[in-house]
Amino acid sequence: MSSALDNLKSQFILNFVEKDRWRYFVSGLGVTLRITLFAVLIGIVLGTLVAIVRSTGDKLLPGMRKGPGRIFLGIANGLCKIYLTVIRGTPVVIQLMISYYIIFASSRNGVLIAIIAFGINSGAYVAEIVRAGIMSVDNGQMEAGRSLGFTFVQTMAYIIIPQAFKNVLPSLANEFIVLLKETSVAGYVAVRDLTKAGDIVRGTTYSAFMPLIGVALVYLILVVFFSWLVGKLERRLRASDH
Amino acid sequence: MITNQKTVEPATGEVMISVHNLQKHFLSAKSEVRALRGVDQTIVKGEKLVVIGPSGSGKSTFLRCLNRLEEPTGGTIIFDGVDITSPECNINLVRRRMGMVFQQFNLFPHWTVLDNITTAPVKHRLMTRAEAVDKAMSLLKRVGLEEKAKSYPSQLSGGQKQRIAIVRALAMSPEVMLFDEPTSALDPEMVGEVLQVMKDLAEDGMTMVVVTHEMGFAREVSDRVAFMDDGLIVEEGTPQQIFTNPQNKRTQDFLSKLL
Repeated sequence: MSSALDNLKSQFILNFVEKDRWRYFVSGLGVTLRITLFAVLIGIVLGTLVAIVRSTGDKLLPGMRKGPGRIFLGIANGLCKIYLTVIRGTPVVIQLMISYYIIFASSRNGVLIAIIAFGINSGAYVAEIVRAGIMSVDNGQMEAGRSLGFTFVQTMAYIIIPQAFKNVLPSLANEFIVLLKETSVAGYVAVRDLTKAGDIVRGTTYSAFMPLIGVALVYLILVVFFSWLVGKLERRLRASDH
Repeated sequence: MITNQKTVEPATGEVMISVHNLQKHFLSAKSEVRALRGVDQTIVKGEKLVVIGPSGSGKSTFLRCLNRLEEPTGGTIIFDGVDITSPECNINLVRRRMGMVFQQFNLFPHWTVLDNITTAPVKHRLMTRAEAVDKAMSLLKRVGLEEKAKSYPSQLSGGQKQRIAIVRALAMSPEVMLFDEPTSALDPEMVGEVLQVMKDLAEDGMTMVVVTHEMGFAREVSDRVAFMDDGLIVEEGTPQQIFTNPQNKRTQDFLSKLL
């Protein structure tokens, strides 16, 4: 029994303490959080724009008069549909590698490319969440806004989007949690994120148990922590439901 | 004012809205619904026009075409000398001058009553925030709801919501007010308070177009009643003429069902 404990202890020292190997994990965690945070920000901006185009297109296009407005909205709506289909229909690792090795082949800033690739990926999922949020807002809100002389964009910005976001905030926070785990494939494009850090240590110490379990634990703690925050947020939102 | 001395023709005074051959077709999955089949109307400044008719007659569509919440399929709407159906017309600027009140109130639930009222005039730079608040508070006082300024819409009754919705529209100092069945979604005991606000507004000389089922209101307040059926104005006249001596068969049928 004590020999097993001793073994674990020496494994721990070998993988985390010796040669300050814990630094890999800390810097890897920093990279993971940075990618996730900025990717989610890109995703929310991109996703909201796509959601506005998609929900507007679906609602207005059938009854719209022929003219430049209809053509513009039709093209935008079509492009958004293609974007959603392609991004949601291919694995994120492939998207990441295409970004790194083809689209941004001239840059070797892996973290930045990962942020962009995950941001574009997340945008597609956020778009569907926000679209559901926009559709959950009563149509009378748009009419009331327009009847007061607000433009379509103003009505969206002041009246529809704030209510839509409030309705889907828990789902958006969930998207952040999902993305946090998805970024673990960033190592494919030479990014030293948390997963890659564990892999590097495993490769140097030739012991898999400690680094991989350690990394898994860190992800798990993060996810449990953020899920707890989301739950708190949900309760707050419900309480402030006027 | 003696109601039975009013006449429909001639419509004297400054023309505010003139509608010519207004048409609206909806494309549904199977067929084309012709909600408006050529409506002509002239509304003069200060006039109170009440539009009545069975459901599906096109009266709400007619009203909603006046500020182009519904895009007309054909015909023209001249507001203050400008054709607002033309593509060059900036409808957003026109709508600032036409207040609208909805059946379902459509207050903004994420804003306080005061923000509901002041945001539009402030964002349009028609007033400073302080001016807008002053105006909002005096309007709220007029409808007896000044203590609700900081409340959220969900904390109000239906009648209160609708009075706030009227104030919200009035805060833009509109030249005409459009009412789309303003009391139809209210509990019976709250209809009176909303109608009273509308009566006060009428007495102040506001130009009003009202789609309603409140025949008492139509009789008491309107200058002219238009009866719509099947996308057309079938009959119009003073309330006296329409309610006591309707000429058209369909008007007679409709009114007899109400009594």
